[in-house]
Amino acid sequence: MTVPEKVAEANKRVIDIMTKARPVWTDVRPAIDAVPGMERNLILIPGPPIEVKELPIPLKTAVCGAACHDGLAKNVDEAWEMVLRGEIKIAPSQDYNCGNAASSVMSASMPVFVVEDKTSGGAGYCVPHPGSNPRVLRWGIYGEDVEENLRFIRGDYAEVLGEAVRKSGGIDLVRILSKTAGMGDENHNRQPAASMALALELVPYLLDVQHPARDRVIKEICANDRFFLHVMMAGVEAVMQKAKEEPYSTVMVGMGGNGVEFGIQVAATGNKWYTTPAPKISGIFLKPTTTEDDLLGYLGDSCVTEVWGLGGMSAIAGPAYLRMTGGTFRDAKERTEKARQVSLGEHNFAPIPWDDYRGFPVGVDIRKVVGLNILPISHGGSALKTGGQAGAGAAELPMEVFKKAVEGVANEVKRMEGEE
Amino acid sequence: MTDTSKILSLFRSELVVVNVGPKSFADVLEKQGYKSLQVDWKPAAGGDKRMQELLDYLGGY
Repeated sequence: MTVPEKVAEANKRVIDIMTKARPVWTDVRPAIDAVPGMERNLILIPGPPIEVKELPIPLKTAVCGAACHDGLAKNVDEAWEMVLRGEIKIAPSQDYNCGNAASSVMSASMPVFVVEDKTSGGAGYCVPHPGSNPRVLRWGIYGEDVEENLRFIRGDYAEVLGEAVRKSGGIDLVRILSKTAGMGDENHNRQPAASMALALELVPYLLDVQHPARDRVIKEICANDRFFLHVMMAGVEAVMQKAKEEPYSTVMVGMGGNGVEFGIQVAATGNKWYTTPAPKISGIFLKPTTTEDDLLGYLGDSCVTEVWGLGGMSAIAGPAYLRMTGGTFRDAKERTEKARQVSLGEHNFAPIPWDDYRGFPVGVDIRKVVGLNILPISHGGSALKTGGQAGAGAAELPMEVFKKAVEGVANEVKRMEGEE
Repeated sequence: MTDTSKILSLFRSELVVVNVGPKSFADVLEKQGYKSLQVDWKPAAGGDKRMQELLDYLGGY
């Protein structure tokens, strides 16, 4: 077979993995028990690799907070010294089939959603969404109140939720997306319908759990319209695990930012990152006093949902998000059309009624992005340099990462072909 | 004797310009009352030769 034929076949296999996936949420377990390769002194962070000294303030706070939460250090100052000495290690979440949204980090004792792709056999992980309180590790804030909430999530919350999910026998995320088709979610930055549908499946099992904190946990989940996001991120990571094992494929299988750099991963080269300075999210600010100078670059792994065709890729499915962030219905349509031009597949589980019942485009081919010179647009929340959420909006993915990826994949293919 | 009627009929018919490249070229002609057709074309990879070679190697796009 020629190289182009091998690439075409590998891409077909990756698109099959992505479009035939059935990610099912099966459990809630401590990261140290669930995540392969997790270590007691390892803290997983969003985005591509970064030198510890380069960590932006919100991530530095989150890493040190997580170290205290795990008992690795007595206070954040001691934690930072340990990070600098390498006694506490950091690594990109997506290298471990995990995702960390915004400034979230994952330490060994934190509970993670376990999602298994029943078709490909992959598994992915993500910490729970902490709710609407703005003072959370997820936005790079740590203090006594944050620690108290982290302990609740690690303790009662994880116990109750884990038991309910196990009792349910697993919750099929494709079923949730199918049931909520046409309800206005784009499933990255807007998912009230999916969160409600998920609660609808979960609450009967939660009511069967005998635990003193049961009612509080039910309240937390039912009051969190973004609950579905972190479950879905684990689901996408489950799908991408096997997609990353396809040499020759030019399909994007990972992306994320650490506030300083933004990067993508491509199936042919697995966990290798292609990076560039992180773009900023354009959109709205939560406070009128915020300016663009206050913004950190793209931060977080929640855009893994985009890798599977959600968010900006299927913006037309959730046009209200565009309205909220300063765009129009036409902008939403244009974002999805751009994604369609550079994607190799289309999901069939959630047709969009006002878009001729088309499905979400999925499987961005780096060759198409570079060749057609069309940049897909990702949705995302924006972070303040000092910590906290700035706002929400969208960012064009930088061409530089796609060009580097074409170069990297071509080099890998040449190596495999014995041409180098 | 050569039949020139076909070529003369082309020259005598209404001029329609096919424009490949920046739309601004066609805009100028349209302002002078000529019709134009814009070809939707961009150089591969924005004209980046290195990328064009690599894309060819990987099967195009």
